[in-house]
Amino acid sequence: MGRGLDINGVSVDTRRYPMNRCKWFCTLPIAALGMLWSPAPVPVAAQFSAPASGKIAGCPWEPTQFYPCALAKAKTFNPPRTPDGKPNLQGIWDKSANDIEEHNEPFELTGTYPGPTLIVDPPDGKVPYQPWAFEQRKVNRERYIAPKAECLLPSPSQHQYMTYSYQIFQNPESVLIVHEHVHSYRSIPISDRPHLGKDIKLFLGDPRGRWDGNTLVIDTRNVNARNWIDRAGNFYSPEAHLVERFTLIDPDVILYEVTIDDPNVYTRPWKMAMSLARIKEKGFELGEESCHEGNRSRDTLLEQGLKPYPGYMPPK
Amino acid sequence: MTNRYLIALIAAAAGAAASPLVIGRVAESAQTAPQAYTSPRTPYGQPDLQGVWQALNSAAWDIQDHPARLDVPAGQGVVEGNEIPYKAEALAKKQENLKNAATADPLAKCYLPGVPRITYLGYPFQIHQFEKYVVILYEFAHAWRIIYLDGSKHPFGHIDWWLGDSRGRWEGDTLVVDVVHFNDQTWFDRAGNYHSDALHVVERYTRTGPNHLRYEATIEDPKVFTRPWKMSMPIYRRMEPNAQVLEYECYAYLGDEKYPTSPIPR
Repeated sequence: MGRGLDINGVSVDTRRYPMNRCKWFCTLPIAALGMLWSPAPVPVAAQFSAPASGKIAGCPWEPTQFYPCALAKAKTFNPPRTPDGKPNLQGIWDKSANDIEEHNEPFELTGTYPGPTLIVDPPDGKVPYQPWAFEQRKVNRERYIAPKAECLLPSPSQHQYMTYSYQIFQNPESVLIVHEHVHSYRSIPISDRPHLGKDIKLFLGDPRGRWDGNTLVIDTRNVNARNWIDRAGNFYSPEAHLVERFTLIDPDVILYEVTIDDPNVYTRPWKMAMSLARIKEKGFELGEESCHEGNRSRDTLLEQGLKPYPGYMPPK
Repeated sequence: MTNRYLIALIAAAAGAAASPLVIGRVAESAQTAPQAYTSPRTPYGQPDLQGVWQALNSAAWDIQDHPARLDVPAGQGVVEGNEIPYKAEALAKKQENLKNAATADPLAKCYLPGVPRITYLGYPFQIHQFEKYVVILYEFAHAWRIIYLDGSKHPFGHIDWWLGDSRGRWEGDTLVVDVVHFNDQTWFDRAGNYHSDALHVVERYTRTGPNHLRYEATIEDPKVFTRPWKMSMPIYRRMEPNAQVLEYECYAYLGDEKYPTSPIPR
């Protein structure tokens, strides 16, 4: 169990606290308290930040420098394989990022600490919003509760880089990504069958998987866009198209890339890249994060004058 | 009455009503001849339970025999012998639950439904198998269960979990799952049948044909029942060639009246 509770929509990364090293026994009281916790300020998970060595798989940790280095490593690294010969991504993985752009001020409502941009294209590290959409992001930050704080499912990509652990399972027919957060999952068929009809929109979209050499590629459409891309108001529309790439560059590090295209909102497709780290703690298992069942934050945020995000709104 | 999670059941019931003979015959063969079929095997040599499955009965409303009431058709129960051996004081609590079910049912708040209720809630679920795990993905609220087949024991507890902790093993062609570490917040059905945090469930999944499973759940809870009891039912494969578990994020729609969501452009 990585994190026994989610309070105010803000996770406490119990695994990073020494007390959690004794696993079940120590985390249980926290899990129980999570049900009853009052919406008081809580410590926020360690933000995406430098490891002690400053390096990840021998590459600089900071995403824009990590990316070219990781791409080079991906060319030569021969990953461990499943019985059917595919790169073996199975195991439990972890990432922590709540704001995808560089941010230097703590943003208490969304629980973000200063951190670097995850955006490697365009080179300025900013989401290439259309002018109206740039204004809309400000409105999102000022007016709305981050959908994650309401325990709504995150966007498909946010699920991979927010502060929760997830376990990847593989067989020849599918890849499953089972998430601690909101006790949810992504089920990705390895298939080129067409996406669902356009009138079926889903919180996590409709994914299709394929292998491109040593890379797992997930192509997702049919998102409902009721969620955000992070906790800081970055958004998309139901027409968004996400292409994610998972490549092992080391036995314990995945290079994760996601390209998001959405002509309703952006001026061009854009890309994030980052490392995902394997959790190597022996006996580590995912826990049950019953987010909605224990959520006390929604009422508090409503009292503060914020409103639930109603989903994508086209410009008037 | 809130019908958020009944729509699928009504549709399922309508389907059943349209072809009662077919359904009845299938159910009978699934119930009486679980041993007659040898399951195909996965690449790891384990019985293959994979696919998209769904229960088709009235247990989500009431796991016992029941007459019709508003929005609920009459139904035959899934409890073997039809009797649930409540302690006297627990039976009174069950009756109270039934009276207040419209609001007191944890599902009215879109909480996770618990085990075994999530199996027969009327939504599809998909079973995936791996060498040391069975993973069940449920359409309802994107709930999942990882069933560990690695010989590991339940973690030290007690832990209050909605879906418990599942450890499995194979007995012949049957997947046997031992589930403990429940909270006392979930019910077995909409009729107020309930349990305490001492609940211990043993599930058995057995292929009875190319497109059927037999599902059994033995229920033990010394705080509420005088003895263990059992429910069983057939589970049906979803036969649509494009069958796919989608989503029902129940809680996402709880706030809709006061804070309407934007229509998704079509």
